[in-house]
Amino acid sequence: MMLKWVRKKWNYFAIAALLIFLILIPFDWFLSRYTSLMIIIGISTMVTVGLCLLMGYTGQVSLGQAAFYGLGAYFSAVLSKTYSLNPWLAMLIAASATGAFAYAVGYPIFKLRGNYLAMATLGIGLIMWILFNQLSQYTGGPDGMSGIPYLSIGGFTFDTNFKRYYLVWFFCLAILFLSQNIVRSRTGRALRAIHGNEAAAESIGINVNQFKLKIFVLSSVYASLAGSLFAHHLRHVSPQPFDFLASIKLVVMAVIGGLASIWGAIFGAGTTRFLSDEVLLGFDKYPQLDIIIYGLILMLVMIFMPEGLFVAIKSGTLWLKVNWREMPSIMKRKRKEWPNQMKHIFSRLLLIRLWRKSEP
Amino acid sequence: MSQPILETKNLSKAFGGLIAVDKVDLTIDTGKITAIIGPNGAGKTTLFNLIAGVYQQTSGEILFNGKSLKHSLWYARSIKPGLNKKIFKDKLQRHAPTHMRASLGIARTFQHVHLFGNMTVLENIMTGQHTRSRSGFFDAAIRLPKMRREEENINLNATKYLNMMGLGQHARQNALSLPLGQQKLLAIARALATEPKLILLDEPGAGLNALEKRELSDLIKRIREMGITVVLVEHDMPLVMGLAEWIIVLDSGQKIAEGTAAQVQKDRKVIAAYLGEEME
Repeated sequence: MMLKWVRKKWNYFAIAALLIFLILIPFDWFLSRYTSLMIIIGISTMVTVGLCLLMGYTGQVSLGQAAFYGLGAYFSAVLSKTYSLNPWLAMLIAASATGAFAYAVGYPIFKLRGNYLAMATLGIGLIMWILFNQLSQYTGGPDGMSGIPYLSIGGFTFDTNFKRYYLVWFFCLAILFLSQNIVRSRTGRALRAIHGNEAAAESIGINVNQFKLKIFVLSSVYASLAGSLFAHHLRHVSPQPFDFLASIKLVVMAVIGGLASIWGAIFGAGTTRFLSDEVLLGFDKYPQLDIIIYGLILMLVMIFMPEGLFVAIKSGTLWLKVNWREMPSIMKRKRKEWPNQMKHIFSRLLLIRLWRKSEP
Repeated sequence: MSQPILETKNLSKAFGGLIAVDKVDLTIDTGKITAIIGPNGAGKTTLFNLIAGVYQQTSGEILFNGKSLKHSLWYARSIKPGLNKKIFKDKLQRHAPTHMRASLGIARTFQHVHLFGNMTVLENIMTGQHTRSRSGFFDAAIRLPKMRREEENINLNATKYLNMMGLGQHARQNALSLPLGQQKLLAIARALATEPKLILLDEPGAGLNALEKRELSDLIKRIREMGITVVLVEHDMPLVMGLAEWIIVLDSGQKIAEGTAAQVQKDRKVIAAYLGEEME
């Protein structure tokens, strides 16, 4: 009886467990040494959610999301430090300015058909990175600018990692929750319809261009909010975290998290950030190793799990739950098929067909 | 005699030098089943695409319910009354895009089914209700009660169309996992879910077996009884002759004949178009 009830409400339990885990992390007796990493993961998750909505649900690839992330950070930094505006107001202005910029850029792009967005956003990413570097009287050039004030509410200042952790994850979970609601609605269906078939989507009355533009602006606003939090967290912005590699990293996060799953974004951002900030930091002999690793991950995930790592793991556990009784016989069968399958896969990977005779 | 739901006047479409539709005058009566037939390359699908707004005509006019889809009234309504209409004259001259025609009440299906492969069967139909609901990003994000009620309504309507097609037990399946016959039914259900006044069916019978075709013709009759005007392009002559109350024959972009099934079958031009002209 009890077990049945637990199984029925499983989703709520999973969410509650996740929440408790997240709340406990910054305490000293738990995982407090990961607090600053978790803040960065939360910020990355916010950008990744936007990218999931854009890439996974609407099918529009953006290779310049770091530009909007950087725009948010720089707007916040410049407005709150140089012009000493209230940080919250600066954050709001940053988000709306970035949204307006995305609208201005997206409006002409979405008049075209096909994957022009990827090309255009690639360009925007590079241009923005150059601007962050070159407009040194505002942005401080390659060295960046520091001394950005902390966020504060009333007299309460977010001046320690412990406090900022809760602030960032509040924003992050709010965005996840809102996005989840958007996905399960008329709007979400329209977005998925655009991904599924544009001609058909238009034929049933969905304004394809408008929806693409709206979701592009929404994802840029998410990125901008994350950038603002990033600026007020580190109190220092420099162009380096917003370069082309950062955009690629964000795409990797979205892909690992499973493009068509909102909650996968936490997983994607978590694994990628953990890899780059904890694991790969040990290999400081090979400073460019992470580029190779990301490329490899992107390639392998796209070949073997086109739905993303998160979704693959989820469906894998579901499969195990159904088939665990037959595992021995399945293993036996698999052991026979395995070598042949591997040969086939490797031959595809190594492009053996290139120097083999063409098939009859 | 009621007003025809769709009229085309002198409608032409040229792709470069090729004239796909050549000065076609059509009248499609409200509440009837009209078939457009013709040999391959006669311009039937181009005509459909012109009506649905995928292509823009080179010349001529399309009237829907007596209103031009070019100077469409409600297109003018979308411009706020206070603004100077002269500035938007150019906009009024433009052709209404596909999605606006869908909200006006022109629905269509495709020759190649074009379902949304990333959704379930039910969601495909629910997407069809897009123009009949209006909640946006903001409503969805904070789940307003208004939006929830609307969502329930959409679900209810979609289930109605689902059951009409007899796809009830496949509701939660992926749309592309259905066999072709049921996929075609699903595409029709999705088009019906937009609650159209006119539905354009592009080769609904292609790839179906005899039994499925009989079911299809029953279905089309039922759609007509719902008060929806049906226009279909079809190659299967027995199906067309048994179903259509009015038949329009196109050949190389021109209308060569129209009439009831019996009239068209006797028409010399039609026989010539299908079997080749006699040498004299």
